[in-house]
Amino acid sequence: MDFLSGLFSFLYQTGDAFAFLVLSACGLAVIFGMMGIINLAHGEFILCGAYVSASAARMGLPLPLAILLGALIAGLVGMLIERAIIRHLYNRPLDSIVVTWGISMIATQGTLIILGSTMPGTGTPFGSFAVGAYSYSIYRLVLMAAAVATLAVLWLIFTRTRFGILARATIQVPHIAEALGVNTPMIYSLTFGLGAALAGLAGGLYAPTMTLVPTMGAAFVVEAFVTVVVGGADIFLGTAPAAAILAVVKAGLTSWQGQLAGQIGLLVAVIIVIRILPRGLTGFILRERA
Amino acid sequence: MAILETRKLDKWFGGLHVTDNVDFALDRGEVHCLIGPNGAGKSTFFKLVLGEHTPSGGTILYDGEDITKAKPFERVRRGISVKFQVPGIFQALRVRQNLQIALQHHLEGAGLDEEIDRLLEFLKLKDAEKQLAGSLSHGQKQWLEIGMAIALKPKLLLLDEPTAGMTPDETHATGEMVKALNAEGVSVLAVEHDMAFVRQIAQKVTVLHFGKVFAQGTIDEIVADERVAAIYLGEVDA
Amino acid sequence: MISTLRLLEGPQTLGKGPGFWSAFALVLILACIYPMFADGYDVGNNVYFFNWTFMALGLSLIWGYGGALSFGQTAFFGVAGYAYGVLTINLGDAYGLTFFSLIAAVGISALFAAVLGYFLFFGRISGVFLGIVTLSVTLVLERFMSQTAGPEWAIGSARLNGFNGMGGMPSLTIPWPGGDIVLYPDVTLYYLTLALLVIAYLALRMLVNSRMGNVLVAIRENPQRAEMLGYDIRRYQLGAFVIGSGLAGLSGVLYTAWGNYITPSSMGMSAAALPVVWVAVGGRSDLTTTLFGTLLVLAGFQYLTIYGSQYALVMMGFLLVVTILLAPSGIFITVGSLFSKGLRRRLARERV
Repeated sequence: MDFLSGLFSFLYQTGDAFAFLVLSACGLAVIFGMMGIINLAHGEFILCGAYVSASAARMGLPLPLAILLGALIAGLVGMLIERAIIRHLYNRPLDSIVVTWGISMIATQGTLIILGSTMPGTGTPFGSFAVGAYSYSIYRLVLMAAAVATLAVLWLIFTRTRFGILARATIQVPHIAEALGVNTPMIYSLTFGLGAALAGLAGGLYAPTMTLVPTMGAAFVVEAFVTVVVGGADIFLGTAPAAAILAVVKAGLTSWQGQLAGQIGLLVAVIIVIRILPRGLTGFILRERA
Repeated sequence: MAILETRKLDKWFGGLHVTDNVDFALDRGEVHCLIGPNGAGKSTFFKLVLGEHTPSGGTILYDGEDITKAKPFERVRRGISVKFQVPGIFQALRVRQNLQIALQHHLEGAGLDEEIDRLLEFLKLKDAEKQLAGSLSHGQKQWLEIGMAIALKPKLLLLDEPTAGMTPDETHATGEMVKALNAEGVSVLAVEHDMAFVRQIAQKVTVLHFGKVFAQGTIDEIVADERVAAIYLGEVDA
Repeated sequence: MISTLRLLEGPQTLGKGPGFWSAFALVLILACIYPMFADGYDVGNNVYFFNWTFMALGLSLIWGYGGALSFGQTAFFGVAGYAYGVLTINLGDAYGLTFFSLIAAVGISALFAAVLGYFLFFGRISGVFLGIVTLSVTLVLERFMSQTAGPEWAIGSARLNGFNGMGGMPSLTIPWPGGDIVLYPDVTLYYLTLALLVIAYLALRMLVNSRMGNVLVAIRENPQRAEMLGYDIRRYQLGAFVIGSGLAGLSGVLYTAWGNYITPSSMGMSAAALPVVWVAVGGRSDLTTTLFGTLLVLAGFQYLTIYGSQYALVMMGFLLVVTILLAPSGIFITVGSLFSKGLRRRLARERV
């Protein structure tokens, strides 16, 4: 009985870590994987989604709608930023990192100035259940389902919709896409917006479980990066399996040595993977041309 | 006596057999052109010789020595030099400084300056020496790169589509440059699409197709070979 | 000797001829007589600014000249700062041992840079991945040091103290018959730091105009071509990285000796961003513009922190975004090019 409850605990922790990594990383993976841009403002799109959805929920909107609203607003802001700033830096990858870092500083501090050092949130819904000696949050199970659902929806978008196919084509061979009449600037905007919206979704989903402070994005960013870099360019061949593996690593290290060990473990993992598998899991699976 | 030799050189990319057991030899003092339809594996073969790709099998011999495991800069130091397809020059530095960086390895002081001047004359770039390399015309950039490649006094010069994007006049001038270098004893291996250029410089021609050596001979023999024409038209498979 | 000095001028540095060097001499003289007119607090404050310039010059070498965007400067800053703290707390400040500790601490951070650099450059890691790895290393160090709070986390008699930071280490102390001279943030420390800055600046000028400097900018422009000219580019990248990171370490030691304090937040995300801002805004591909850009941005940042504290970081963010978009070579170079033909040519170079 003890063994089973211990096993359940480990599975729960791993699933929880997996959901966190997938949801925080998929927005970054879309932008990095498809456009090669490292978006250091990723945490701030999460912040946007969190704040918008929490405010909307407090104003009476049902939580699922509030979360979607948060994602939508984050996506729109993303498209604006892409149009105004990122667009000019596609052939300057190092500069795009630096610029998004600047945007991140502006957003975090700006939020602090305008909205104060904290914002009231909603509580975690659904309560808890018990297995063995421990109690577990039901909402976290919802988040695990949300992570899987997000991956499924993304798969449908990229393989079944016109936008998805055009986006993949545009990003791989922009001139040809343009010659075929595709509105390539629009595709770039929409793709970046999708990445930002996914970040906003993560923010909205996790807002009920966290304190809302302007620096909350930082809790997601590093782990999102690690997952994207370990995974490589493809969301389905890379990010998802990377999240699974890293979830096990993180859950294992956390239960062994505490949260900090888990975080450090992930950072060490990214350093090692960059050295051994420069294109991440995607490259390993596809054995891409050098 | 071969200055460059590959034995059963093999390269796989995932499931793609890009270089298929290639046995190749370039004689000392020879100008040899490598041609073939797109995707035949010419660039990959080149990169294998340079050391940018590691072979899946086989050996590469330079001047009798096995260089299969040597790093690119080691191969360069032994006397192999390369000119890339896309001009590989230092765009934001001046023309003179570009050559200086190529030469400073083994020259300094007044000797260095004299050699730079000599090269500038040879490349017809004397008037442009203070210009930024990036502001040169496309043909001039190609020549500057050839200049940097030969500054090292190589024994073997590899040229990857040296006349890509050049006007017919520039192409002809490049051909004359190559012949002048060959007269000084430099062996040349060139990947090329421009048949007029091939005819101008090549003593021997190898045709690659699907990663394999398809035909070899003088330019006249190759042009007369019906099978070669067929592969360009897509009528023959591996 | 003369030929080495000739390297003070060259293709990789702005400023040549009697005009430039007279201006340089003038600025130096002004800097030397400054303490006679300023009060103690301002002098100490200027030392604080000078302390950061080494890190900025180091990043200019690694990024501006070498083309490698390293987010690791604050990691080496922190390592050296903590090393100085541990060494001086254990060894004390008599007999000039603080200077030994200074050199040893910089040496430790340089050694750490050599190991990390070997891993990076001999592993052919470059571009954005270099940035990610160096940023990860910096954050690992920050997180690790933040949780060293208990008494078991001590080296000798120096407790690491977790996120509260290590304090109480002695300042740099010059042994003197009749009473050691302790270098508090005051006039003597000012002259020492100024001297170090001048030496570093001139030495770097000579380095970047030397053959090594030529190869470094070649690697920045076209690493493949540099390799195909027979250079083992990994060694040059490693060399620049160790020197640049060692300079960051020097900043760390001087900062710790100046304030008798070092915390893990000096290696956090916000701290790691600042050197990038200074160097990008000033003009990273030239030592002189980096130096003045850094001092100006630091002064501006401090002013904003005092008079409108919340806006300081927002302004830094804005500055960074605007610079990268509108003046990617750095604001100094871009504005300066409006006045100088030489700078206009330089700017054209960067646009190519």
